[in-house]
Amino acid sequence: MRKAKKWAATLAVLLLAGAVAAGCGNSAPSSTGTPSSSQQGNATPQTGNGTAEKPVDGGTLTFSSFSDIVSVNPLFVQDTASGDIVYLIFANLYDLDRQGKIAAKPWSLAAELPQVSEDGKTYTIKLKENAKWSDGQPVTADDVVFTINTILNPETGSPLTNQFDKVESVNKLDDHTVQIKLKQVYAPFQYSLYNQIVPYHVLKDVKPKELQNHPFGKDPAKTVTNGAWKWSEWKQKQYLTFDANENYWGPKPHIQKIVMKIYADQNTEVQALLKGDTDLIQAIPVTQVEAVKARGNINVILAPGPQYEYISFNFDPKNFPDQFVPFASQKARQAIAYALNRQGMVDNVLKGTGTVMNAPFLPGSWADPGDAAVKYDYDPEKAKQLLKEDGWTPGPDGILQKDGHRFSFELQYNAGNSRREQVAAVIQQNLKDVGIEVTPKAIDFSSWIDQNVNPGKYPAILLAWSLTNPDPDQEQIFSSKYFPPKGQNTGWYKNPKLDELWVKGYSTIDQNERKKIYAEVAKEISTDLPYVFLYQYGQPEGLGPRVHFAEEDRPEPSLAYGYFYHIINWWVDNK
Amino acid sequence: MTEYLIRRLLQSLLVLFLITVVTFALIHAAPGGPMQIFLAPGLSQEAAKIQAHNMGLDQPLPIQYLRWLGGLLRGDLGYTFKNHLPVGEILWPTVWNTMVLMGTAWFLSLLVAIPWGIYNSTREYGFSDQLASILSYLGFAMPTFWFGIILQEFFALKLNLLPLSDMWTMGREGEIGDLILHLILPVTVLTLGFLAAYVKYSRSSMLEVLQQDYIRTARAKGLRERRVIFRHALRNALIPIITIIGLDLPYLVAGAALTESVFNWPGMGRLFVDMAVAREYSVLMAITLITAVIVIIGNLLADILYVLVDPRVQLGRKGGQSA
Repeated sequence: MRKAKKWAATLAVLLLAGAVAAGCGNSAPSSTGTPSSSQQGNATPQTGNGTAEKPVDGGTLTFSSFSDIVSVNPLFVQDTASGDIVYLIFANLYDLDRQGKIAAKPWSLAAELPQVSEDGKTYTIKLKENAKWSDGQPVTADDVVFTINTILNPETGSPLTNQFDKVESVNKLDDHTVQIKLKQVYAPFQYSLYNQIVPYHVLKDVKPKELQNHPFGKDPAKTVTNGAWKWSEWKQKQYLTFDANENYWGPKPHIQKIVMKIYADQNTEVQALLKGDTDLIQAIPVTQVEAVKARGNINVILAPGPQYEYISFNFDPKNFPDQFVPFASQKARQAIAYALNRQGMVDNVLKGTGTVMNAPFLPGSWADPGDAAVKYDYDPEKAKQLLKEDGWTPGPDGILQKDGHRFSFELQYNAGNSRREQVAAVIQQNLKDVGIEVTPKAIDFSSWIDQNVNPGKYPAILLAWSLTNPDPDQEQIFSSKYFPPKGQNTGWYKNPKLDELWVKGYSTIDQNERKKIYAEVAKEISTDLPYVFLYQYGQPEGLGPRVHFAEEDRPEPSLAYGYFYHIINWWVDNK
Repeated sequence: MTEYLIRRLLQSLLVLFLITVVTFALIHAAPGGPMQIFLAPGLSQEAAKIQAHNMGLDQPLPIQYLRWLGGLLRGDLGYTFKNHLPVGEILWPTVWNTMVLMGTAWFLSLLVAIPWGIYNSTREYGFSDQLASILSYLGFAMPTFWFGIILQEFFALKLNLLPLSDMWTMGREGEIGDLILHLILPVTVLTLGFLAAYVKYSRSSMLEVLQQDYIRTARAKGLRERRVIFRHALRNALIPIITIIGLDLPYLVAGAALTESVFNWPGMGRLFVDMAVAREYSVLMAITLITAVIVIIGNLLADILYVLVDPRVQLGRKGGQSA
């Protein structure tokens, strides 16, 4: 082992990258809009998987993952690998269109968009009457009522609880109609309907607290589903297989069999893609993109995903030596934003797979504020000017000083994440150029989350939010109602105006009205800067030559699980 | 001999017990438990408590340990936290897979290394000896993963002769021919690593013996060189080699995390890395325990082999010597 320490570290990194995605993934109770594909530019396949040929039925699609599933019971999914499988074997109540709006697609369980009452508090959902479970039983309103009530029962311990906590009651009107009443007007609730349901007839007699350990979700034979494919086999740490569901009620998929192969890490996955052992990998390490492209037959889709990286400032003086918060003033934070070369980070570290952000709304999403957010172009002179206005003067060691305090702070990130490692180094250099001293500090991911991030005990952190739910509401990240330990405002940021705007945002149903409110949020938050928003980023998806789809069915990297977007319409070469 | 074995076994049990206590304490001392890894930050405190209770994590550590130990005595290795799967179900297949890989590599390298080392000791600094030196340096110096990737690049991707990774082709599980094809590359990598050490050991051990007085005596008696080497020198030269082999035995199950990763071999080394990151305590405990058992067996076997090989070691008279 000794000669291989470095590799082990790399390996741990990759695994951690998975943990990061899981750790801050599904969790974001708040969420952000989705970039529309038209504005993403290069989301279109470049080497011709998108084709006008006629689809062929049959064949096997193999995709890969570098972690195994935990459980595919939709009530408990918290990791990407399990989420991928749920996406394939369960139908959603509603699906998303490319712009991240909810939609009743031919493969959605709902027949039409939900009807929202005048007062905005009652949602009526009509189910398709022909929908069936894989054991042949019909999908009914009972399944929906059971699912939501089970999620709401604290004994279940479902991570979806906070998506449904505004629900007052859920009732069956008839076999195929469900009515959900909310306690308050809450616009983001529509995205809680972008979820799966579990079979009432299979799970009704299981005690809620025993659901998590129940074979449903772990034993293929006992996992009754309602999607296009059904689960056939799980060879732990090696592969899972799925076959077309003969009881499927929606449009028949072309692909007969899907295999998820588990690899030790991303490098092994890339090799397998080149060899043809796998047809789809979700993330090619940016350092290998050029090499993969050079092989010619791999389609690399370069477009950022639903996640953004940020620097979070901590406003609690307890986290600093001498109880002094160096970036306490707005001007100092703005100076930091001007001093950072974020476009440079996108170009050099992300190799172009990213977009600079100024507010917590993904570029191109329906809530994208555009010019309403203050833009901070790389401008070290302006940064120096602002710092001077703020009363900072150069000290004997070249670092700025004010009232006997040096402008110096520690920036924490998780050890082994090579992207953050590189970005932290750029930040250190950029800020040094304007007289601010940054000490990057890498900490083991789980200890860091446990001891620094969640309790809000850090001077500044470099981290990311991954947004599986495309609603722009992010109250739980920025509102002073959500300080640790119960909330995710881990920087102890307080801004009464923003607190109010977030509430206004989710209490308004009309999307155009909401867009205006989030433009105001963007203006305020980009002026005050509790975070320096860095960039939306993503990992390049790789598709092998066997995979085909029509142009309108291409993958949509800006959505969570977008690498499988419209997979039901894809087909593979039967070789 | 029997008395000696019994005493060694009892000592071993005590050592094993202590190892489990220490490991358990160390694993739990690492910051960031399974709850941190697994729980969504947005999960309500109440739900988090219920999950912790379901995982048995709300109990004091000594109780958790005793529960684990109690299960172990009944042959139950426990369950994973995340999805409540029996540890044995995950672990045993990987132990077997690792033994297939490592056993093959180890056996092959011994088969080549010992005769080669002996041959080289009789022709010191000859061509074969120099070649072995170069190979040893390569084996020691070359990172296994790098060598593995080079082999993959050439034989699997460029020439398309051999499978890139995995233990079986899907759908051909159990076919011995398929297994052999999949073994070639990882075994090559591992064998080179083992070989490097064993050739050196057997050569130097043999050289040392060849300088002993009794060898000179044997030669002086006019014995043929072949007889000197095989009858007189070899038995003695084997002793230190046996020690090394005994000590290396644990590698058979635990030593191949990197090679397993590169070749996507579903073995225990990889499992350990995965489970350490996921803080799956019960799997980690089980792996540590298995490794410890094998270390102890390895030492014990080495001691027993001494008796068989070395006429100077006699057990039972003074209570025996241990290595």
